[in-house]
Amino acid sequence: MFVHNFKYSLKALFRNKTLIFWTLMFPIILGTFFKMAFSNVTSSEAFKAINFAVVEDDNFKNDEVFVTVIKELSDEDGDNRIFDTTYVENEDEAKELLVDGKIDGYLVMPDKKDDTPGVTFINNGINQTIIKNVVEEIALNEKIGNEIGETIVKDEMAKGNFNIDIDGIYEKVMEKMSDETNLLDKSANKLDYSMIEFYTLIAMTCIYGGMLSIASINNSLANISQKGKRVSVAPTRKLVTVLSSLLASYVIQLVGLALLFVYTIFALNIDYGDNIAKVILLGAVGSLAGLAMGLFVGTVFKAGENAKTGILIAITMFFCNFAGMFGITMKYITDTKMPWLTKINPVGLITDGLYALYYYNTTDRFSADIINLIILTLVLTAVSFFSIRRRRYDSI
Amino acid sequence: MSNVIEVKNLTKSYKEIKALNDLSFEVTEGEILGLLGPNGSGKSTTINCILSLLKYDEGSITVFGKDMKPDSYDIKAKLGVVFQDVAVFDELTVYENIDYFCGLYIKDKATRKKYVEEAIDLVSLSEFKKFYPKKLSGGLLRRLNIACGIAHKPKLIFLDEPTVAVDPQSRNSILEGIMKLRDMGATIVYTTHYMEEVEMICDRVIIIDKGHVLASGTTDELKRLAKIDEKIIVEANSFDSKYIEEIKSFKAVHSADYKERVLTVSYKEGADNLVKIIEYLKKNHIKYSRVYSERPTLNDVFLELTGKELRD
Repeated sequence: MFVHNFKYSLKALFRNKTLIFWTLMFPIILGTFFKMAFSNVTSSEAFKAINFAVVEDDNFKNDEVFVTVIKELSDEDGDNRIFDTTYVENEDEAKELLVDGKIDGYLVMPDKKDDTPGVTFINNGINQTIIKNVVEEIALNEKIGNEIGETIVKDEMAKGNFNIDIDGIYEKVMEKMSDETNLLDKSANKLDYSMIEFYTLIAMTCIYGGMLSIASINNSLANISQKGKRVSVAPTRKLVTVLSSLLASYVIQLVGLALLFVYTIFALNIDYGDNIAKVILLGAVGSLAGLAMGLFVGTVFKAGENAKTGILIAITMFFCNFAGMFGITMKYITDTKMPWLTKINPVGLITDGLYALYYYNTTDRFSADIINLIILTLVLTAVSFFSIRRRRYDSI
Repeated sequence: MSNVIEVKNLTKSYKEIKALNDLSFEVTEGEILGLLGPNGSGKSTTINCILSLLKYDEGSITVFGKDMKPDSYDIKAKLGVVFQDVAVFDELTVYENIDYFCGLYIKDKATRKKYVEEAIDLVSLSEFKKFYPKKLSGGLLRRLNIACGIAHKPKLIFLDEPTVAVDPQSRNSILEGIMKLRDMGATIVYTTHYMEEVEMICDRVIIIDKGHVLASGTTDELKRLAKIDEKIIVEANSFDSKYIEEIKSFKAVHSADYKERVLTVSYKEGADNLVKIIEYLKKNHIKYSRVYSERPTLNDVFLELTGKELRD
């Protein structure tokens, strides 16, 4: 019965032109428009180094990682230039430069090594987002370096080697860090923030897949459609029909997503980084979140299929906005002012996961995004199944 | 013959409104039972309660001698339902739609294929197997809807107004199909507003209104419940009201109404009434195009029992 229902659900969904347009064609069309729009922007506006200041006090001077990386990212002759950095003696000087509009932000290193470095801005924008992200990443990589160093020392001591070669350890740490991180890979060429728009496009496609689960669930429940009534009087368990229909929806979602990946990679030259397996994993988990979102809208809202699809589109676009689809600034504002929204925004989580995979070679942030997506999926699915658990209705 | 369905003291309310009020009836094996009632009388609610789709407040329902519950899969396997609204997939062809719904009951592919073909033949859709529902006319669509509900050869079939908005040719074909199903051994519960359909196919009729049974029996038994015995119809372009008043005073006349160039005279008893009317028309030089006698119809009984006020 599962296979029978799955087969016909798959057929019915694949032949539904409206659904196929929104879930398969629309993202490809939108991606093409994005490419056309952003290729003009990037060709007309070459990346310009960001005016940035660093308070060069003892805290900064004692932090070799920050000193080295900031220097590298500010080197006029280097390939990795992001910042046009001014070194000042104290925070007052930095504030003056910021107020005068000569810099976009400044960095003050904390007194305690474990505290987060302080970054100060007046305005919000792309440059401020870049500064914040780069500083966060340096701090993260420094932490990783320290942990690697500790591990090496412990390993040496475990081997009975108590004459620790500090220079050797430093070299090993730097070598390992270059393997595991890409701090200096953040060149101006790579800092293409239009990528965020494409990431939100992938995320939008994942959530738009919810339209498929709305259609599936509508065909399975007696209180929603006539077809549902007919299915409900058959000697088939509701769980079997619902799950097999949802699986069919998921398959089509994955096909749509695969097409979008292929199209954006080969036709639009979008770079998703080197870790394509994790990108696929994120897409698969994101699609599950979309499926759950559709299931939720399809079961909790009492309305016709078109109205429910409209609700899903509205919710998706709301989330897309806060994930930065219509401007990276909104992503920055959401990340800083409403971090809770980022945690429950599936579009934001998928976008952030792709962003994390591309810009950071560490997987902490990516893993956190995946876990949040799974939690969100489970919560939405549980609520949906709770609302469809009824076997007899008060009215239909 | 044993009872296939037994409904006892069924009560169901929608908030303040009592949709079913102590409703009791039985359906006997092999019969076509007509369930009649005006809009909102509780016909569809009754069927949905029997199918275990709706909750009810009180009473009991047994189908094939067992309590009907949402997980009574053994009972459900013997049921076929054709709902009032067409319930098919627009994205599947005629054949695929029937195969899909049949497949919810019949696992064996070869058996299913045979059943699907037979259902297609029964509703005369052989030429349209590869058509999508949107390409079908209203009548063909209704026939597809029926095929989807009965392809698995159910022993008990619920047909909820299956001929709504269907042309006379398709209706005839559908009604013949339903009688074939009965002849093949199925028990059928049939709801409709069309009295001539009931007279044509139903072995027994139950008239319900406001959620309870008003009358039940064969169509002849029900007709005997009518207050009138004969109707005389006079088709005339005009009819003076003084003549209508005189006719009303005739012996055994129950009522006389002139509407849309037709005078209908209802009699409580039926003997020589037609002759008397013709004589009266001649004597008063009243011009008429046609005059004839009719026995009371099920429609008359229905209107007498349920009232003539408009319903939703």
